[in-house]
Amino acid sequence: MDFFDRFAVPHPSFLIYASMVGIGLTMLAIVVGITYFKKWGYLWREWITTVDHKRIGIMYLLSALLMLFRGGVDGIMMRYQLSMPENTFLDSQHYNEVFTTHGVVMILFMAMPFIIFFFNYLVPLQIGARDVAFPRLNALSFWLFFMGMGLFNISFIVGGSPDAGWTSYFPLAGNEFSTSVGTNYYMIAIQIAGIGTLMTGINFITTILKMRAPGMTLMKMPMFTWSAFIANVIIVFAFPVLTVLLAMGTMDRLFGTNFFTTDNGGMDMLWANLFWVWGHPEVYILILPAFGLYSEIIPTFARRNLYGYTSMVASMVIISLLSFFVWAHHFFTMGQGPLANSIFSISTMAIAVPTGVKIFNWLFTLWKGKIEFTTPMLYSVLFIPLFTLGGVTGVMLAMSAADYQYHNTMFLVAHFHNVIIPGVVYAMLAGLTFYWPKIFGFMLNERLGKWTAWTLSIGFVLAFIPMYITGLDGQARRMYTYSESTGFSLLNMVSFVGAAIMAIAFVLLVYNIYYSIRYSPRNIGSDPWDARSLEWATHTPVPEYNFAITPQVASTQAFWDSKKNGHELFKGDIEKIHMPNNSGLPFIMSCIFFVFGFAMIFSIWPLAIITLIGILACMTYRSFEKDHGRYISVEEIKETEKRLRGAKNEGR
Amino acid sequence: MKELFPIKQVMGFAFSLVLTVVALLVYFTDMSYTVGMTVLLVTAFVQAGLQVVVFMHAGETKDKGSIYLNIYYALLIALVTIFGTLLVLVWDM
Amino acid sequence: MKVDNSLPLEYSTEENNLKILGFWIFIGAEIMLFATLFTAYFTLVNRTGNGPTGAEIFEITPVLIETILLLTSSFTIGLGIHAMRLNKKKATMGFFIVTLILGLAFLGVEIYEFTHYVHVGAGLQVSAFTAALLTTLGTHGLHVTLGLFWGFFILLQIKKRGLTPETANKSFIFSLYWHFLDIIWIFIFSFIYLKGMM
Repeated sequence: MDFFDRFAVPHPSFLIYASMVGIGLTMLAIVVGITYFKKWGYLWREWITTVDHKRIGIMYLLSALLMLFRGGVDGIMMRYQLSMPENTFLDSQHYNEVFTTHGVVMILFMAMPFIIFFFNYLVPLQIGARDVAFPRLNALSFWLFFMGMGLFNISFIVGGSPDAGWTSYFPLAGNEFSTSVGTNYYMIAIQIAGIGTLMTGINFITTILKMRAPGMTLMKMPMFTWSAFIANVIIVFAFPVLTVLLAMGTMDRLFGTNFFTTDNGGMDMLWANLFWVWGHPEVYILILPAFGLYSEIIPTFARRNLYGYTSMVASMVIISLLSFFVWAHHFFTMGQGPLANSIFSISTMAIAVPTGVKIFNWLFTLWKGKIEFTTPMLYSVLFIPLFTLGGVTGVMLAMSAADYQYHNTMFLVAHFHNVIIPGVVYAMLAGLTFYWPKIFGFMLNERLGKWTAWTLSIGFVLAFIPMYITGLDGQARRMYTYSESTGFSLLNMVSFVGAAIMAIAFVLLVYNIYYSIRYSPRNIGSDPWDARSLEWATHTPVPEYNFAITPQVASTQAFWDSKKNGHELFKGDIEKIHMPNNSGLPFIMSCIFFVFGFAMIFSIWPLAIITLIGILACMTYRSFEKDHGRYISVEEIKETEKRLRGAKNEGR
Repeated sequence: MKELFPIKQVMGFAFSLVLTVVALLVYFTDMSYTVGMTVLLVTAFVQAGLQVVVFMHAGETKDKGSIYLNIYYALLIALVTIFGTLLVLVWDM
Repeated sequence: MKVDNSLPLEYSTEENNLKILGFWIFIGAEIMLFATLFTAYFTLVNRTGNGPTGAEIFEITPVLIETILLLTSSFTIGLGIHAMRLNKKKATMGFFIVTLILGLAFLGVEIYEFTHYVHVGAGLQVSAFTAALLTTLGTHGLHVTLGLFWGFFILLQIKKRGLTPETANKSFIFSLYWHFLDIIWIFIFSFIYLKGMM
């Protein structure tokens, strides 16, 4: 019986038992549903074994939306807990678990897959490629991410959630103060997902460098592809730091080493330091693709060329470098000397300059444009002032002396939500609405979309602006309650109302998807927004080979030129197309990784060793495997093209 | 047989052995910390460059721009991370 | 598959070119991986707690043997790639075998070194310094171990399938990996051992 004791939740409550039952029933319903409709074969052939970048992208999207829900519930619970002084909805332990998982889930399992969804779906289409450079690796990246996500999410029903904050600072995260397996989950689940992300980075850099359509020089790439390129460069150089950091944390927790302990020479501050060496670039990994999406949407609906292409690129390159020079601003109060703080303070302020350049470029693009207020445009226009507000408070926080006042207060919480929500989340929703017709063949309802955008923005302002005030008044973050005499009650109640309104926006989004699936017209053609870059030049739905003939490019907006200026995109005849084969290996290997991770978390060594051998066996198999891909014949392509063109003509 | 041992690579190997011997002087002779570190930095980076250029053929294709940029970028960020961390945690300035 | 015969086999197809560039980018990531380990090591090097310092436990002889072994193996794998480009299958395989044997010998000495450290009271759990030292060395050693398996698999494939664009590509990428491990060792040799014993 001792063996099974370790899987019990150390600090249970009614809510946890209820979600246990809920998750169990949902899983059962899914399995029964798939079996009843006999969809296992379809699922295996078309999705689990797929190496098609578009399908992998959609799976990333589904994961991200699921995690947006989960992280959102965490957020609402926190706001509700704080809405009244001395509230007893959550106790301190549960509050710790909730803010920890909220942070990890939202950053690593919501925002990351959301941007990787856009990388996957858009980059090959925007550069006129058939797929990514390493399709098999891409599938492995997804499945490792997915298994990491799954592992992290079972933590609160098996063995207990991590509770040391999403930053997991030592010594709090050490064995002495975090006795449950929760922090093991943190170390190992993120490790597995992180390896997947690192491989995504390598994959997309190679894709963008080597697989662009003829004529597309680096300076003729669409702006989203540029942002994806820069973000992936940051991924490749930042994620190894996380890999090593988590490995050292794991060793401290499982093997009794002394990296971050408080005796035998260990240095807890090294964790904070290395965490942010990864953590700060990570912020830019999220925000740059968001900027890229705005740079696609704003020119489309301002009906103007993007202003300042070169300065956009230059500012991103500078951001990519500077993002590695600023990490210490996350712990100005840790006790390093004034010289170190000054250097990091100045570099932090410097990074506001290229960001400001980008803001002005968008404004100049809008200037004298014929602006059309579609939903994606509405998000973009709301983004500019709200994000700028967050940026300005960021410069306030960058002053190391003043930071002693702001540090660890709700002011900081307000700041980073103020950049991440209007910056990243708006971009994701704008991009999703913008590209939805390309992906699924019908538009999301515009009216509901605008309602969502406005509801979200009102909710956002109500939820987070009050935190600036309570933060300056001294409300500390990560405190599960406060007394009435602090005077924080009213503003915290406003915050909760704002959070509830944001939840309504999420419900509206889901309802919009449902409503549009049922009622949206399907005959919209392949270019419903009258857009500019190559992804709109192919059919909707996109055939598996993307382009029957590789497009020829001569400017930053090749498709626009082909529509308005007589540029010929598709020259030459259809030839047979080489495509990669599907493979079940990435999925199987990732499943073994899942079990390996689980065994490590609970220190079940025999199982860990067996699964490790299994992983190595998968790699060995891959080394010896012969896989030359397959060809799609000219006849088959012509038939597909005819069918897709026919579908489009019917709609006209 | 001779064609299997190209002069460039043999020279490269010999040179890397020489660099190793020079680095060993740090151990076998009595140097100040500054001189010793200078010797080690020079020999290590020259030797690394030698490997990249002579043995890894970094510059032989049209991708050489990407490859070198990749290495320089990694090196820059590696040094910033190492020295930035020392600045924050060890040197106490 | 389009094969361009004007180029060496490992570059002869588009896919091969992608793989080589992709691996270079992976090496960029590996540079950061080891840089992080070095960061931890340099930060913790003087934090020895109750355990020994580097100067007390390092021995020059095994370190020197390891260095020579790895340097030579880096040379022989370079010769292997040269032989591959001359399309000499036997010689290529010969150099691969020599490389793997040298790698195995390196690993043997490193294992001896590790048992020595544990023996003199510098085990993994003793202090922050020993943890950083053994993790850095261990990560390199793990890379060598994986490399030995990988190289052996490629050797088998060359034997069975001959020098084809695929096997040549794999061999070339393996050689990049192996040279890279030598570079990392140079830095370990210089800034962990020699600096520690200086």
